[in-house]
Amino acid sequence: MPTKSSAAPHERDFARKQRDSILIILGLLVVFALIFLLRPAPRDWLPAEKKVVETTKGHVCVHTLLENEVEEKKILRSLELVRELGATSIVQFFPWAYAETRAGQFSWSRFDRIVQHADRQGLEVIARLGLVPDWLNDDESKTLNYLPDSAFSKFAEYAAAFAARYVGLVDRLIIWNEPNLSFEWGYQKVDAARYVRLLQAAYPAIKATNPEAVVLAGALAPTLEGRGSNAGLNDLDFLRDMYAAGASDSFDALAIHSYGMLEPPEAQPASDKLNFRRAELLREIMLEHGDGEKPVSITESGWNDHPRWAHAVRPSQRSAYTIRAFEYAEMNWEWAEQLCIWAFRFPADLQSYPDSYTLVSADFVKKPIYFALQDYALGWERSEDLWLPPPETER
Amino acid sequence: MKGDALKPSMILLATTIVVLLAALWRHYQPPDRDLAFPAGEIVIGVDGSFPPYAFDAGGALAGLDVELGAAIAAEIGLPVRFVNLSFYGLYDALITGEVDLLMAALRVDPARMDDVRYTRPYFDNGLVLVTASFGVPLNGAAQTGTALAFEYASGADSQIRAWEQEGQSFARMPYELPTHALDALRLGQTDAALVDASTLHLYAKEHAEWDYRREFVTRELYAIALRINRDDAWKLVDSALGALKERGELAKIVDRWF
Repeated sequence: MPTKSSAAPHERDFARKQRDSILIILGLLVVFALIFLLRPAPRDWLPAEKKVVETTKGHVCVHTLLENEVEEKKILRSLELVRELGATSIVQFFPWAYAETRAGQFSWSRFDRIVQHADRQGLEVIARLGLVPDWLNDDESKTLNYLPDSAFSKFAEYAAAFAARYVGLVDRLIIWNEPNLSFEWGYQKVDAARYVRLLQAAYPAIKATNPEAVVLAGALAPTLEGRGSNAGLNDLDFLRDMYAAGASDSFDALAIHSYGMLEPPEAQPASDKLNFRRAELLREIMLEHGDGEKPVSITESGWNDHPRWAHAVRPSQRSAYTIRAFEYAEMNWEWAEQLCIWAFRFPADLQSYPDSYTLVSADFVKKPIYFALQDYALGWERSEDLWLPPPETER
Repeated sequence: MKGDALKPSMILLATTIVVLLAALWRHYQPPDRDLAFPAGEIVIGVDGSFPPYAFDAGGALAGLDVELGAAIAAEIGLPVRFVNLSFYGLYDALITGEVDLLMAALRVDPARMDDVRYTRPYFDNGLVLVTASFGVPLNGAAQTGTALAFEYASGADSQIRAWEQEGQSFARMPYELPTHALDALRLGQTDAALVDASTLHLYAKEHAEWDYRREFVTRELYAIALRINRDDAWKLVDSALGALKERGELAKIVDRWF
């Protein structure tokens, strides 16, 4: 005879299910707690000790592109390879749009990571500043290189804040990039006087926060565009216009881009030719305007070795030309403090000919130019061949 | 009362249906050519330094991108104007409206798709594994033990390193140029070569007598880029490209430049 206290079968079933559910939940909690407790601690990729660059050539420099690098270990790997190459300095882009995502609110963590890693590898950082935050411009047809005159003071505030944050770590700052190309100037007509006004806004602001900072003007793009061109203005006329607009008091050094294109590094410069020694023509303009005391940094240079690009040379030529360019600069350009090769590595390959400017592929495969530069900077003589001789053909 | 309570939901339902119908109607409407290209011409941005896609042929632009661009404009029924741009300025020219579309051997880039819409592809420049016609069978990857020729430090080199990390091993035959790798294959000095499709096309044209087999190992699709909000223009360009493809004219244009 059933007693009053004995539960009905469905009630017992319900109680059992309830108990099982609680046990399952408790079990899961224990598993999650174990996973949480046993998880590996986030790795600190920053080396504990500061390294020293071993090199025989202090003017070797590369342009890195670490601002879009997501993984810190790749920043570390890149900069280790730069140091092992024997380069003493890097040019690195620090986009304003990444730092000041809201008006007046700066977020430096991304930049801190790059600057700290470069410092630990013993590398000097030359900062290139530019790229306008989108809160400054709600017109979707404007690019992030479009900076209205009314925002020059905002850019100056960013440059000053950057200079203040990295005093002693980043003391060379390039104001903008290739302002003589319309696409780098936000697809407006290029205008040296406007660029000078930007310099005049940034220069005192930077000096106020870091009096030791070296402010670099430029970096002018090598181009043959004439006056009236929609694409830009050649670097020689643009620099003359800068002086005419009173630039001289608002920069400490000039940044120059000097690409070899199809010519060897020793080829004579001319105003209607693009080659490595075009930098000398810009230097002459500096001298004409009494700026001979100011140094120059070649912040982009190099040759491209894509098999089909119209302005490319063969990989072996690229290596030879690049080394001869460094030797030429060392011998003849006492005014050039750095010669920086564009570009060390892209975070992801572009799958087009610009990839053939890099020294290391996105997956860190060292290219022939890397080995050639390393041999030059470290005084090494490498004996092994990187590739087989070409098959003997009827050609 | 009941009827009054239903009223707002009925209105909402009716509005939703009208909006959906309008969207469907808009979607299936033939694109308006005058709205798509209000200037009465199609402005195409090309990179004139990259043969055989676009290059300077004695003062005039020529190449696959140029001929295909002209064919698309003719299909749409509008005149075409080409603007020669540097690689780095291409997408900014599109965003600012300097050009209506880009045809510059541009791969479909998912990272750009917030601002840019690509048409169907018109060329695949992926890596191709090439063997002699009587050579080792292909299955989308080289076989372990194969002698493999490639350009040193190229995309092919990276692909081979990836295969090696997966456990395969090859007799590596690095060359300075990708054409040297194909020379080695043609002359029977290697089992296979790994090069990009453009290199193979150009090489095969130069050596018409050479018999080979090839298989794509990776995809690198080239397409036409338009601003994401140019819906009518995209429809016109994409369907013009589709029509050229269907009629076999795209293949003929590609053949002419490779």
